[in-house]
Amino acid sequence: MNTVTTDGTFAHPALFYRSEGEYADRTVTFVREGLATGEPVAVAVPAPNLELIRAGLGTDARDVSFLDMTEAGRNPGRIIPRVLRAFADAHAHGRVRIIGEPVWAGRSAAEYPACAQHEALINAAFKGRSATILCPYDETRLDADVLADALVTHPTVISDGRQRASGAYDWRAVVARYNEPLRPAPDADVIAFGAGQLPDARRFAVGRAASLGLDERRLPDAELAVAELTTNSVVHGGGHGTLAIWADAGQVVCEVRDPGRLTDPLAGRRPPEHGQVGGRGLLLVHYVADLVRVHTSDEGTTVRFYLGL
Amino acid sequence: MDATGPTGGPPRLRSGAVLEVGPLSGRPGIRASGEISVTTRASWEKALTELSRRHAEVSYVELSGVRFVDVAGVTALAVTAMNLPGGRVVVEQPPPQLPRVLELFWPSLHRIEVAPR
Repeated sequence: MNTVTTDGTFAHPALFYRSEGEYADRTVTFVREGLATGEPVAVAVPAPNLELIRAGLGTDARDVSFLDMTEAGRNPGRIIPRVLRAFADAHAHGRVRIIGEPVWAGRSAAEYPACAQHEALINAAFKGRSATILCPYDETRLDADVLADALVTHPTVISDGRQRASGAYDWRAVVARYNEPLRPAPDADVIAFGAGQLPDARRFAVGRAASLGLDERRLPDAELAVAELTTNSVVHGGGHGTLAIWADAGQVVCEVRDPGRLTDPLAGRRPPEHGQVGGRGLLLVHYVADLVRVHTSDEGTTVRFYLGL
Repeated sequence: MDATGPTGGPPRLRSGAVLEVGPLSGRPGIRASGEISVTTRASWEKALTELSRRHAEVSYVELSGVRFVDVAGVTALAVTAMNLPGGRVVVEQPPPQLPRVLELFWPSLHRIEVAPR
């Protein structure tokens, strides 16, 4: 397996694996290659896989940053700013090496489109940067469609230990395909808002979220996220919108729609500059929510976020 | 006390959001009540500018009467604090969003000290 590339170029291989043994072998080799050349290395994968890599590395594990992706990357939309860019930016002077496993068996049907878009957008977010991000895919447990998407979101793929270019690579196609229309649940509570009703919309959301059972410690997050989305609608999205809120499968779901169009696919995924004043609203929503889904078209934009009860 | 609506007009018309902000008596800093959001941003930022102009060692920002502050409101405070030549800003009794946003975006901003509710 040769994943070493020259500096200034971004490498983003998918690693298809079929067993724990194969997973451990290939990821540990990848980490050791990085350590041998002095590259900072981070591993962000689900906890059981973290243990496989840790065990395989032995004492070398102390030189590696580990993150449980089911926590850090529960919302796929925050992986680029909070996990990948956070690590790369903290080691900005050389090449970095990261294992990121955002897609695992058990990701829900609501989560998967956001996972696929996240994988696609890594290519845009890291274009021209000195980094290698290896994304493992469990060939035995993931759907064929998911594996097919991985060939579209990754310029190279490692399978049976051999790396090859992916002929299907076309990340924009995956961003577009999972730009799926979103509709509020039939039992949702809905309120319309304009500039004069921002506090009303916020209070409505907090009241409904509380009565739907959202833990009071998460209510300030719900209030913040609703404030940022409704403010975006008023300032950038045509001046008005509607807010819907309901409960679904153990989560509170909040959705804001407005007549604007979101033209920047990386909106809300770029970490802000330290002293930057604006542009943190959507980022905040990604940071606090368990999942964010977005649909945007000429007819308008819908941003939906989920908070676990 | 200074209360402004979105266009500087009467505060309770149209915006729905009100912020009253003015200097503290007896110590350096400001006291605010109402909410800090897009419609009240101008008066919040004006007060912060005033705070930084008068800042010496420690300035206080008393927020016990503030029900809500959004990300841009916390950002304005953080940027004000970062641009001070020295010293610190003590934020008293802020709404829960303030420490939350600081933790998410400026986890190591030691120049702001939060005295919770």
